[in-house]
Amino acid sequence: MVDWGIPIGAGIAFGLGAIGTGYAQSKIGSAGAGTIAEKPETFGLMVVLVAIPETMVILGFVVAAMMMIMLV
Amino acid sequence: MVVRVEYDYVNARIKGMKSRLLAPPVFETLILKPDVESIIAELENTPYKQEIERATVQYSGITCIEVALRKDFTNAFRKILGFMKGGESETYIKILLSRWDIQNIKTILRGKNIHMTSAEIVECLVPAGQLDDTTLIELIRQPDVKAIIDLLATWGIDYAKPLTRNFKEYSEKRDLSILEYAIDKFYYENALNKLGEDSYDDRIILDMITTEIDVTNIKNVLKMIRDKINIEEAEGLLINGGVKLNMERLLAMIRTGTLEGAIKVLDATPYKFLSELPADVFKTEKISVFEKELEKYLIKRGISRFLGDPLSIAVAVGYVWAKYNEITNIRIIARCKTADITEKEIREELIYV
Repeated sequence: MVDWGIPIGAGIAFGLGAIGTGYAQSKIGSAGAGTIAEKPETFGLMVVLVAIPETMVILGFVVAAMMMIMLV
Repeated sequence: MVVRVEYDYVNARIKGMKSRLLAPPVFETLILKPDVESIIAELENTPYKQEIERATVQYSGITCIEVALRKDFTNAFRKILGFMKGGESETYIKILLSRWDIQNIKTILRGKNIHMTSAEIVECLVPAGQLDDTTLIELIRQPDVKAIIDLLATWGIDYAKPLTRNFKEYSEKRDLSILEYAIDKFYYENALNKLGEDSYDDRIILDMITTEIDVTNIKNVLKMIRDKINIEEAEGLLINGGVKLNMERLLAMIRTGTLEGAIKVLDATPYKFLSELPADVFKTEKISVFEKELEKYLIKRGISRFLGDPLSIAVAVGYVWAKYNEITNIRIIARCKTADITEKEIREELIYV
């Protein structure tokens, strides 16, 4: 009997992190585009700000990977 | 959940534009300049550089500053309107900017009424609304008030409706305030009809419009008291829809028959500050001082919208008023310099820095 609980849990951990990251990046990205249009000198800062929410999906991936490697 | 995606981009741009507004020390530098030419030179070191340089090709002195400021003001609002085109916020910004359409139409009508030259009328226009330069210049070309109203009607511009309806009364009494009042009333009623009370954006714009109605009504009431207009006639000249002052309270102000009495009626409202004006303003019945204080209140209220929800129309409203305030202050400084007014007096004249 295959235990589906762990893969589903890993999927949720990864998926919700990805959704959160996507939402945050869409907001920061559009605001960043507006800011760069008015102040091109802020380009470097905006790239960093857009990248920050990536941490959520990376953490989600790490948790999912740990679940799959250590619990299966 | 309603996601107002468009505000992320638009408000970021508006905040970028806000960061280019002049800081208080720049106004102090402008005040300390000895003449208009040095003010022009100083403005070349600010975001007005481009428009000042263009204007200096054709004009000099105060006209150069006026032309450059007008162009910059218009460009800023056209830019905001451009960002919001097609979005839900377009309606809101159009309501706000229509204020300048009304002002421009009234200016043209006044100019034609007192037979000013086209060039003089153009100088007083601010084409920041939906009626652009070409439309306004075509209106100025018309020989008289009747022709202006007819042209507006031919183009299908809504403002022709109240003007056409009241033209007969105007032509009988030859009193332009009839047309001015009609167009003001039309603008405010139209704006109130377009707005609901459901969303935060609606409430922000509604608050500004109703405050404007209050301010316009107070100004009118004070003028009516000074000119001893009877209450029946006055009732027809007030606009419904103010937020703090209903028709009953406005009529109570007129019934007092004196400026002191009228201002006392405002004690329980946010307009109480008018009672703190010096006593000689009441004695000499200088309505312009009251008008300036009310204008200051309106500008402060408009600019304070910046503190509202950053993902709403509040940011645009705050910017529109902050820009208007900046332009007004630069014009005050430049005009005062041509009239050789002292620096202390100029600081007192500035609306809000």
